[in-house]
Order: sequence, then structure tokens, then C-alpha cells
Amino acid sequence: MMPHAQKAAIFNKDEARTDWHDASLWMVRKKRDFAVSEIPEWEFLREFASDIKMHTLSKLDDYLEAFEKAAIQNGAIVHWAADAKEHNDIVLSILNKHQAKKMVKSKSMLTEECHLNEFLELHNIEVIDSDLGERIIQMLNEPPSHIVLPAIHLKKEEIGELFHRELHTEKGATDPQYLTEAARHHLREKFHTAQVALTGVNFGIAETGEVVVCTNEGNADMGVHLTPVQIHSMGIEKLIPRRSDLAVFTRLLARSATGQPVTVFTSHHRNPKPAGEMHIILVDNGRTEQLGKPDFRSSLKCIRCGACMNTCPIYRRSGGHSYETTIPGPIGSILTPGIDLKKHGQLPFASTLCGSCTDVCPVKIDIHTQLYKWRQIVSEAGLPEGGNKTMMSIMGNGLASPSFFHRLGNIGRKLLRLFPGKERFLSFTVWTKDRDLPKAPVESFREWYAKQAKDAQ
Amino acid sequence: MPSKETILAKIKANRPNLWPLPDVPIFETLATDKKKLFIQILERGGSKVHCIDDSTQIHQVLTTQFPEDKRMVSALPFLEGIEGITTLHPDFYEGTEVAIIEGLIGVAENGALWVTEKELGNVRVLPFIAQHLVMVISEKNIVGTMHEAYRMLGLPTTSGFGVFIAGPSKTADIEQSLVIGAQGARSLLVILTP
Repeated sequence: MMPHAQKAAIFNKDEARTDWHDASLWMVRKKRDFAVSEIPEWEFLREFASDIKMHTLSKLDDYLEAFEKAAIQNGAIVHWAADAKEHNDIVLSILNKHQAKKMVKSKSMLTEECHLNEFLELHNIEVIDSDLGERIIQMLNEPPSHIVLPAIHLKKEEIGELFHRELHTEKGATDPQYLTEAARHHLREKFHTAQVALTGVNFGIAETGEVVVCTNEGNADMGVHLTPVQIHSMGIEKLIPRRSDLAVFTRLLARSATGQPVTVFTSHHRNPKPAGEMHIILVDNGRTEQLGKPDFRSSLKCIRCGACMNTCPIYRRSGGHSYETTIPGPIGSILTPGIDLKKHGQLPFASTLCGSCTDVCPVKIDIHTQLYKWRQIVSEAGLPEGGNKTMMSIMGNGLASPSFFHRLGNIGRKLLRLFPGKERFLSFTVWTKDRDLPKAPVESFREWYAKQAKDAQ
Repeated sequence: MPSKETILAKIKANRPNLWPLPDVPIFETLATDKKKLFIQILERGGSKVHCIDDSTQIHQVLTTQFPEDKRMVSALPFLEGIEGITTLHPDFYEGTEVAIIEGLIGVAENGALWVTEKELGNVRVLPFIAQHLVMVISEKNIVGTMHEAYRMLGLPTTSGFGVFIAGPSKTADIEQSLVIGAQGARSLLVILTP
């Protein structure tokens, strides 16, 4: 696997496009700020959300059993999946039971995590991702680059080209309204002919057995209500105890995600439609492992709003695909090292530790602290990504010895004066790759201070 | 061991110490005029709002807003002369130009309207499949925040499906350009009755 820094370097080659990507996401972050400013009790809501989630995690086994009991009473069928494979097998068995060959799917990061589409296609099932962004990347055979805005990395010209090829839109057409309309017609037909619909789950309510799905396009509900069989795939950490807790989370989720006051649709599914079938699959796939790590378990509070991505200077300028994980960005970088340290251990280093992710997180996950803690683990494990060791040891020694530091400073200032601009001689570090060092001062603070003391005498 | 037992056992072994569950207060809106805020937020989200004096005027609003002679389906029991719910088969409602339903609760802070399957005549797909959606709600049923809304809702007893609808369906998946009318209704008209 190519390291994040290398992938980011490739992404950065097209500077105009990088700037565009950066600006698109920063716009979403600004919308979030405005939406947040309308709620005077915002900080209290974050605190409540965090406590509700921590409480749920501390009694997750009880709540899962209560949820299952309520859901069964409602008439739903509940399945438990220890890992991705079991989840996929369950979905396939439901499809087979109904001799279904076509399934519409609305947005679900969990099924991305389980690589459900590839699995079902191997078994000759046609899977249609019905969220517009997801449909676009499915046609391109790419993974989503963002958890809320899956096609944020694509330009409308590229989507126009794709739709011309796949949906026979006019050649050269790039108007988003026109392209969305084409997708609308294409997908309507799919909703009527699919036999099964699958959705992700934003919240599962322990006291009622309901699953709540928050969307904007209406595709999830079109699928669920038009097909006889509905499946809801849900990570076990999606539970909340009470229905009234939804007040807290619906106020936080859309404001954090896109800056909307609430998603257009907040659907509460409690039982199957008449003559229909409703399945809920509870998926672990590594979550119970993460629960056992005291420093990192609070990452399970995540409600998948994507705010940490929109605000992250690294994410915005490296793109979601550079992380090579299902969940990219800051939250992905603390969730995935626990799954495979060797593969994802480099990701906690794809951060400036500026802490902006922690500031915007609606459930108060201390993301940047966890990034820092993962770095310690990665370094102790002796992985090559454990930082630039030579440089770190020079810096460590330099900063520990005042006289050495003084001499190092002198040399540095001289070199900077001799070779201004992009410091080629520092090309062994990546720090000066895309930025100039500041103009070197004539003297150090220490020298200046010594002079002041002399003058004062 | 079946996966359920494995998962539950792992949670028991790994879960943190009991963390207290907070009592969340009912935060109310600071807005003095909830109706005004409700209308303002709905319009900001791309919906239209029409205030009428009594429900006999609904027909008139519908003919002015939708002058073309196209298929209208109403789940309101009292709208005469408009196709009602005749079958529960969802595909039957494809081709509906305008669906008219009642909203039970309106939330001022985000312009969301609550409906359950009862208000949809048990046709859950109705507000999504129609090209345009009309929701009728009494201004008496406007609350300030989601906290107040969920307090009013309580726990579901008979309804198997309920949804907050906060505008026409929309997407910004292509270059963050807002497109109203994604896969559900292309427009939302809210008719406010006294």
C-alpha cells in the first residue's frame, strides 16, 4: 500500500484542483459554523450527546438485548454478525430466500466497510447504489472519498462525461440540475423493479426497537417502501437508549454534516409494511475490540457527520482516497489503526494535531489526542511510519542542549541567508517541499537579549 | 458459539465502567414568534408556505398552485373531489403529480413536519413518490424545538413508520451545487391552517 504522504503528493500535483477541493470542503465547514451559531445551547448538546453515547457503550450488551427484544416484538427479524463476512452472508441468504436478483441500496458506510457490493456481484446480484453521489462512484468503480459527500472529489465535467456514457445524457452537458434529473429517471425505474432494499442506520433506539435513517434525497425511503423486503445494516455502536435522545442527535447531525438545520427526511422504521419483511443486521466487525481499548473506545461515539473531514487541513488538501480506508480523515485515522496497525499505522501521522477536528466533533471525541496516542503505539511497534527518526533524534538532542541549540541556530540562520527561497539543501525533510521558510533574522533572541543586558549596564 | 453470544460476551469483557445517563432538559426556542420562525426556516430550505383562514380554502390553494389537470392523491379524509387512498399497493401511486397529507407537528427551529403512516393512509411511499408534496398543518401544532416535538410524540404505540419531512428532496452531490428535487418530491408546499 502506498503511504498517505505519497498519495497526497500525487493529489497535490494538480494545484488548481487541490485548491478547488480545499475550498469546496471549507465552504461546508462555514455552513456548519453558521448553523451551529443558531443554537445557543450547542455546547450543552455536544456534552449530552457525548454522555448519552458513553452511557450506551458502558451498557451496550444490555441495550442490544433490549433493542433486539423490542424489534422482534415489532415484527422485525434481527440478525447478529460478528464480522463483515457474516454480514454479507446474511444479506445474501435473505436475497436467496426471496429469489431476489436485484437490490437497491441507500447510503451505508457499514456496507462499504464490509465490501458488500463486490460480494453480492460475485453471486450475480445486481446492486444499485441509489444515493446520487454513491451511484456516480459506483458507475466509476471507485470507493467514496468522503462519508457524507461521496463524490466530492469529482468535477461536474467528469460526471457529465460519465452520465453521457452510462445514461445517454447530452454530450458535454454539465449542469448539475440536468444531470440530477437524468439520475432521477434512471433510479425511479430501479426502485420499482428491485425486490429488496437495504439501508444504513443512523440511530437504533433501544426502548422502541426502531431504526432511524437520516437522508436528503428521498432515495432510502423510495427503496424501503417500494420493495417487499427491507434490510437495515447497523453497526452495534449506533444504539441510543431513548427515543427522546433523538432530539439531541437530530439537532447535532445535519448541522455538523452539511449546515442544514435537519436532514430533509428523518425516517423512523418500526415494523414491516403490510405483507412485507423487515430485517435488522447488528454488526460487530471489530467494534467490540475497539471498546476494549480505554484510550480509543470513545471513537465509537462517532455519528458519521464528516465535520472532522471538512475542517481538516490535511484531508482537504489530500482528498479522501489518499487514506485508503473506508472512513477517511481524522476519525478514520483513529478508527482504522486498531483494525490493522501495519496497514493503517501511518494514518495518525497524516495530521498537524491542530485539534480542529476535536473542536467541531458533535459528540466530543478527542480525535487529536487519540491521533497522538496512536503515534506512540505505532512508534513503539517500530513501524517505519513511526516518524522521521533521524530528524527527530537530532531535534531531540538539539532542543535538550542549550549550547548545541545555540550553535545549530547560528548555522541555520547563516544557511538561510545564503540560500533564500525554497531551501534545496533541506530537501531531505519534507517540511520545505511546498513552503518557504521565513526570512532568517540577523540575530537570535538570545544574542539580542545579551546585548540588551549589556546596554542597560 | 453463535455470533450473538460472542458479541455480547466480548462487550461484557470490554465495556467501560458504568457511565451515568444524563437527563436532557427540554430546550425551548428563544424565538418569540414560533410561526414566523417556522415559515422562515421552511422558505430558507426551499419550501413554500401558504396561510389560510379555514380548511375550505385548501381546494382554492391547490388549483392556484397546480393549475394543470394532473393526478392528485389526497390522504386527507375531508378533501372532496380528489383521488383518495384506494389501494395499499405502493407502485400504484407512481405517476402521482401532487400528494396531499396532513402534518401532525411542525418544528419551528428546523422546519420539519412529523407524519406517521396513519396520515399517509398507510401508503408509506406517498410523500416520496409524488412529484410534488402538500402538507396541511394547523399552526396550533407548531413547537419550538426537536425536544418539544419528541416530548409530544412520546413512544409509538400503533404506528410502524413515522417521518420528519423538512422540505423538498434535495442533493448537492455534484460539485456541492444545490439541486432541489433529487429523488423524492420536487417541491413542498405547506398550508398553514389556524
